Amino acid sequence: MLVPEAPAVWNALKGLICIYKPAEVPVKKLRNIFIHKMCQELNNLKVRPPSGYVDIQGDPSKQLTVLVRPNLADNPLVVGPRYQEQDLPVSWSNYLGYNTSGVLLFGVKSGTKQAKHIRENLPTRSYRVKGVLGQVTDNCYKTGKVIQKSTWKHVKRENMDKFLSAMQAAHQKKMFELCGVDMQSQAAYDLAIQGLIRPANSKIPVIYGIKCVEFDGPEFTLEIQCVNEYEDYLMHLINEIGLKLHSTAHCTGIQCIRHSRFTIENALLMKHWTLPNILENMEKCEEVLKNNQGTSVTLA
Amino acid sequence: MPVKIQNISILNKFTNSLKYFSKMFKCFHLKVLSARNTSSSRRCLSVFSQLLMQSSEIELVEKNSKQIEESLIKSLNSTTKKSLLEPLSDSEDISHISTYLKPTYPNFAAYANNSEVLQELIKLDVNLHYIEKKLTEAVPFILKLNFEDIKDHILFLNQLGMKFEDIGQLITKNPFIFKEKLEDLDVRINYLKFKKFDEIMILRIISKNPFWLSYSTQDIDKKLGFFQMNFKLAGHEVRLVATKKPQLITHEQEKVKLNMFVIRDEMGFTIEDMKEMILKTPKLFMSGQQRMLKCFEYLHNEMGISHLQILEEPQILTCRENRLKARHQFLKKLGRDQFDNKKPNFVNLLEMVKNTDGIFAVQVAKSSAEEFNLFLKSM
Repeated sequence: MLVPEAPAVWNALKGLICIYKPAEVPVKKLRNIFIHKMCQELNNLKVRPPSGYVDIQGDPSKQLTVLVRPNLADNPLVVGPRYQEQDLPVSWSNYLGYNTSGVLLFGVKSGTKQAKHIRENLPTRSYRVKGVLGQVTDNCYKTGKVIQKSTWKHVKRENMDKFLSAMQAAHQKKMFELCGVDMQSQAAYDLAIQGLIRPANSKIPVIYGIKCVEFDGPEFTLEIQCVNEYEDYLMHLINEIGLKLHSTAHCTGIQCIRHSRFTIENALLMKHWTLPNILENMEKCEEVLKNNQGTSVTLA
Repeated sequence: MPVKIQNISILNKFTNSLKYFSKMFKCFHLKVLSARNTSSSRRCLSVFSQLLMQSSEIELVEKNSKQIEESLIKSLNSTTKKSLLEPLSDSEDISHISTYLKPTYPNFAAYANNSEVLQELIKLDVNLHYIEKKLTEAVPFILKLNFEDIKDHILFLNQLGMKFEDIGQLITKNPFIFKEKLEDLDVRINYLKFKKFDEIMILRIISKNPFWLSYSTQDIDKKLGFFQMNFKLAGHEVRLVATKKPQLITHEQEKVKLNMFVIRDEMGFTIEDMKEMILKTPKLFMSGQQRMLKCFEYLHNEMGISHLQILEEPQILTCRENRLKARHQFLKKLGRDQFDNKKPNFVNLLEMVKNTDGIFAVQVAKSSAEEFNLFLKSM
């Protein structure tokens, strides 16, 4: 079987990749696993042979013999494998919390710059957040201790939809207010046609869309489009929704289904992290970026 | 070499005092020479005056200082055959002289091309990089070894039937085996033979557990006794456990005790159950207790598997919770989560977790790999 040359693969290994993060694995650990896997696979390819060692033997006053033999100091057993974990820079463009699963973007080598640009552009993310009515836990997630129970039978889908649309409107209105324009003015219209208005600060979470996609018994699923969100924010949002509906609720699962233009179809599962798959994924991500060049951003 | 270095240091002192004195000389001219009160300046004077005498310009120095300086020159002449200040002749070979390596960072690569012992270890496939990284304290120890010292150890292991690859692995993990005396190693092997371990068992034990031979017979006896006592094992059962998982015997006993506590008190198995477990899966008592407990909780509380069923296949407790969760929920979604072997369409627990995702999806879940991947992406 033809084994490809490792240096060529190493040079090709740069850009963005889109992976699927499972819940209950920290992003940092995922990054370490990724780097480890890549180095392992690169070392299994045809790596550089040890360099030559020039050995001059004999008495300098008489005849000298010059030998070139493989340099033992360059042997992988002595200096370690050719590709080591500290050699591969990898950074993430969106941070997902411990309990969140879903689309995660990694920038590899020169792709770390792209990842940084994507992060600084404040792209919107879509989440599918699951919740259960009737119970409150101390950390607003299913792993916490139940501290309060309530009835939930009176909550109907209509109540939920009504409240969620009011919430969405309030968030949108707030953005226009932050821009200092009247909602009924031409200026507001001009702003609105430019696209989403994003907060200038990357610390303020803003919701652009929120709706209930599934409502079944005490369980419900929301789809949320937002920027600058974080795991705790989404968990507490579910808690707040429960309270506003005159009941209680806690979160049972958070899944990021879209990060800017990268959807869950692009995402690679952990078991598929092999060099050919990763390189293919990089190409696909490059394509996605190329097709969506020049999308502008309005900051509030 | 140390002699030469000493000379250099003396010469340095000599030239330093020379410089120092020449300054003084410029300032005070011959006043200082006549004054010379302190003993230290006297010594400087003596050295300097010797130089001056050679050029035969001044003869102002006292007799006693002359004696001192003569003895100094004598000692210099006796240790070096010729002056270091003279250029080297072309015929002299100085290629073996190099600067000292810094001892702060022990590094094999710097010595690999010259050290015989390192070259022999490389031939045995010993991963020196691993030792450098994980067992830093072993690096100076290995660098000080001679190949003659370790040859007998390697031959001894080879005579027991170990292949050279295995010996390389053993040295990688436990380079301190060379610290043990050959007689001791022989005694330790004889102990195992005395305890009715046959040759294949011994071979498996020493190749699977690189640290076994570093323990004294008393230690090994205590450790085997610990398992025999706590699990109420018969002699042949102890041998079975030791051969099946040699690492368990030398594993930290506190951790084994902790795992015993988890299995007995937290999971609710009896001591007889534990005995059955250690005979079937000795690895269980080495795994992390948190991980094992999580796996058990999912099996028992979520999947409703009884203690008896777990006892039939205790291996299931070494499975990762995530893997178990994903596969169980996929089966649940398909309506195939039936683990009772008395009812039709039951799923064997071990079959469920042991193979890769593709085989599981097709053979156990009777679905397709794509379907399972889609399901994993929805979790």
